[in-house]
Amino acid sequence: MSGKFKSWFLQRFPIDTQKTSTVMEKIFIKEPIPKHMKYWYYALGATPLILFLIMVFTGILLTFYYIPSPAKAYESVVYITEEVSMGFWIRGIHRWGSNLMVIAMFLHMGRVFFTRGYRKPREINWVLGVLMLLVTLTLCFTGYSMIYNQLSYWATTVGTNMIKEIPLIGAPILYLLRGGEDVTANTLTRFFNLHIGFLPTILFILIIVHIIFVRMHGVAKLEDKEDEETYSFYPEHFYHTLIIGLFLLAVLSALTVIMPPGLGEQANPNVTPPHIKPEWYFFAVFSVLKFVPLKLGIYFFTALIIVLTFWPFFDDFIRRKWQVRRIHYWVGSLTIILFLFLTVFEIIVQ
Amino acid sequence: MAENNSLRTQKLLVGIFSILLVIILIIVAFVEMKVTRDAKPVIEISGVNKNCVTCHTQKGIAVKAIDHWKQSLHAQQNISCVDCHTAKEGDFDAFYCPESDFLVARHPTPKDCAECHEQQVQEFSASKHAHQFWLIKNTDRSVFEIPIATKNGCEQCHHIGNLWPDQSVGECDACHPKHTFSKAVARQPETCGECHVGSDHPHIEIYLESKHGNIFRAQEKKLDLNYATKNNTPIPIDIPVCTTCHMDGNETQPMTHNVSERLAWESQSAWSFRTVWLEEKIGDWKMKRSRMEAICKSCHSPEFAEMYLLTADFTNLQYNEIRRMFVRWTKKLTENGTIKRLEKDGKFYSDPVLTGWDEVPEIAMYHAWHHEGRRFRHGAMMMGADYTQWHGIWDIQKGMVEMLTWAAEKGDSEAKRWVESTDPIKFAPYALFDIPGNPWGINVLSNTLPYVYNAYPDYWDLIYANVKTVYDHNLLSEKQWQMWEKKYKDKEHYLGYKYNADSVFKYYQDLDSKDTKAFTEQAVELKLPSKPFWIW
Amino acid sequence: MDKESSPELTRRNFITKFVMSGGLIAGAVLLLRNSLSFIFPKIEPPLLRKLLIGKVGDLQPGQAQEIPFGESILYLINTKDGYKVFSSVCTHLGCIINWESYRSRFYCPCHKGIFNENGEVVEGPPPRPLDEFKVEIDKNLIYMWIEEKSGGLS
Repeated sequence: MSGKFKSWFLQRFPIDTQKTSTVMEKIFIKEPIPKHMKYWYYALGATPLILFLIMVFTGILLTFYYIPSPAKAYESVVYITEEVSMGFWIRGIHRWGSNLMVIAMFLHMGRVFFTRGYRKPREINWVLGVLMLLVTLTLCFTGYSMIYNQLSYWATTVGTNMIKEIPLIGAPILYLLRGGEDVTANTLTRFFNLHIGFLPTILFILIIVHIIFVRMHGVAKLEDKEDEETYSFYPEHFYHTLIIGLFLLAVLSALTVIMPPGLGEQANPNVTPPHIKPEWYFFAVFSVLKFVPLKLGIYFFTALIIVLTFWPFFDDFIRRKWQVRRIHYWVGSLTIILFLFLTVFEIIVQ
Repeated sequence: MAENNSLRTQKLLVGIFSILLVIILIIVAFVEMKVTRDAKPVIEISGVNKNCVTCHTQKGIAVKAIDHWKQSLHAQQNISCVDCHTAKEGDFDAFYCPESDFLVARHPTPKDCAECHEQQVQEFSASKHAHQFWLIKNTDRSVFEIPIATKNGCEQCHHIGNLWPDQSVGECDACHPKHTFSKAVARQPETCGECHVGSDHPHIEIYLESKHGNIFRAQEKKLDLNYATKNNTPIPIDIPVCTTCHMDGNETQPMTHNVSERLAWESQSAWSFRTVWLEEKIGDWKMKRSRMEAICKSCHSPEFAEMYLLTADFTNLQYNEIRRMFVRWTKKLTENGTIKRLEKDGKFYSDPVLTGWDEVPEIAMYHAWHHEGRRFRHGAMMMGADYTQWHGIWDIQKGMVEMLTWAAEKGDSEAKRWVESTDPIKFAPYALFDIPGNPWGINVLSNTLPYVYNAYPDYWDLIYANVKTVYDHNLLSEKQWQMWEKKYKDKEHYLGYKYNADSVFKYYQDLDSKDTKAFTEQAVELKLPSKPFWIW
Repeated sequence: MDKESSPELTRRNFITKFVMSGGLIAGAVLLLRNSLSFIFPKIEPPLLRKLLIGKVGDLQPGQAQEIPFGESILYLINTKDGYKVFSSVCTHLGCIINWESYRSRFYCPCHKGIFNENGEVVEGPPPRPLDEFKVEIDKNLIYMWIEEKSGGLS
């Protein structure tokens, strides 16, 4: 019976099973992993991927109940949180997952940065990584505005207003994003579309390309240790990943109970609450923008993003021109210190 | 080998984390995030009422009335505008809504309310709230209190018993405000206090001064007065508001809109008398009193409630004796021409036993009934000590002194003799009622003080005879008489005579002598160098 | 190599495997269970609201009366078996039926569906009787029970 079915199946789907399994084995099972990856710190790359999958799963579930209209959005979030069985859990995982995803990406990037994993010939994968960070942050921003409570509504208003400051293209982009002059029903549906359709697709494609690049180049070996021994992906690294996944799920689930996602007050376009705050990972940006003129701030961060994106090339250029070998240490440490300082400052200020 | 161990460790870690996840997921599955919120019912506006609401909203006429209606239970049950404002051609209050062909009723009356709330309207119209007494038995007050005043004054409150052209009596929204018809507002003591306030019957003040009112104020925020009480269920609040005792039901009493069903006295009347109001329908005064007691006993011990009410009953009986004295004097002075009645074309406009406005005895007699006399009695019935005492008997006695002083000045020899008398008993020119002890406890020494207790060895025998007489006249129930007799027989106990607390009392006497010494030094004997500015 | 096959080690291997696979399976099952309960939430019984629709005696036996409620119309009918309330929506394709008092029947103009005074299909395409609402008589007042629309947040 099964033999019959197998032949029927293979006639319709002429897959060379022999070859496929060889390829699979070569690509996944036997993927050579450098010895240093046994240290946890070096294995953070899988974390954002696992979180992405969790986010996709919980996100799809949330769309079962979420209604992207100003009149119903907040109510439906309340409904999900309070009425639907396990609703607070799904929503909590999605909410905390977004935070952990940002942290995981920061950590992964930090590791790659300090070990110069982006060095030739892997510059393009770093660029892809930065793009993924930007897409993720945009996902966080659009996702936050879905709740449609006072804070998220005004964070959306203020956040999108900044786009206007970008010269020339700012105003049209703002109009495009908001679907009008103000944050309205159009804005919510557009953000909803971005959040569940466009951006996840982009992120998904970027992830695939990112992984393909990793496989093509092989995992970067430590600098000055190019002859490092390797071990195969399965079983050890597989378990590694599995443990990370389980750990994340447990932490996220625990967080939903310990710190359940809040609801706040329903958005009221006529009343601006006294303290509007973005999510914590925007605190540093928020803090700088408070102290410098808005235009200057926008230019500054645009420049920063460009430098960050093309850092491997800058790094290479600087190293060759001035023969400084440890420049990335200084730049990285300074960035982290500044980021932490501004974030903590903003937390203390409120 | 080491390889293998580390792999096993990893597998074990997978297991451990899985189990951790399982534990957390189980916890998650039992967490309840639901917050109870009151769902705001969706109010549907149906049929022709849509036109009412649309037009009223557009023109801005009584829009709040619509908002109020939307909060009502009526709105939730699809009872809308025309259900109450229904009118037939020729109805006294029928009119066409401007620019439309809607015939609507301007004043829904109890007749309209009775369409659904028949029992409530019937009960109400059998209550003294609906009684027309203020038109039946009264002198024409407007000779003194001009019509515009009686309109905005008397009539506004007495509108609760309005007699409508459609023969129905009453005004439901006097207590159930339009258009929410809220039960909670109707139960709010201040609703009763809209009328039951002020010098003639300060019931809201008495209530708020009583323990009942005080605790109500303290707990007010957490009380929900919007409860149903018609099904012989326990009183759902822990402290009574006005309606709790006078209207709401408990396990034994049905809820009623007849506020007269539980009142045993006509204590607002010029003479206190045991009520005969609709006896044949709702029973005699004893039946009515037993209803009230049944409510009292929801919270109080039977002994306390009965003793309390009996003590208060004696203020009503005592009041009559005081009034007898006032009436004797106003009648006497009218008969001998000292007081002249208002008269026009053979009709009198003042009355020596009801009202008069220009001579001191008339005013004193009127006040001793309509103001002080009621405060004296109602303060006692509803725990308003201050109203029985300072706003009650004090003012009554003051009126008596003024009346007799006036009569003496006018040459009345009896009055003169009274004014000149130095006998302390002169302030009791009437018979007395009393009860040994009080409902609250035994006071060892307070009963050693009263003059009559000491000066009249046969005091309690005189009182006994008076109480026996009112009992024989059916003004006290059998049970009340027995209760009084018990106190009488054991008065050494109830008056505290057989107990000795002299040593404790001595302690306070010593403290008091220190006070006396202190004010003597600080005030009485203080001499200032400057002389008075006005020299006598 | 021989240590590998020692019974102690095999038992340890077995326990490890048991803990791992057991934990994984239990975790997966619970994840699935919690997710499914999200997808198929408990439907709470709808809130019912009591509407006052008439007084006993106002409606002659065998007669029906329109009851407007919000945007919809309901029919109160005084049948031999007591008062009944029906939806005016035809069970065929959702047209609004009319009461024809001279024939004591409900008639749907769209496809000639006919219902009798008990809401049962007499003729035409409607697949099932008219939707009926619960009626309650309290003293002389007629009430009906209708599902509460989901209220706004207060």
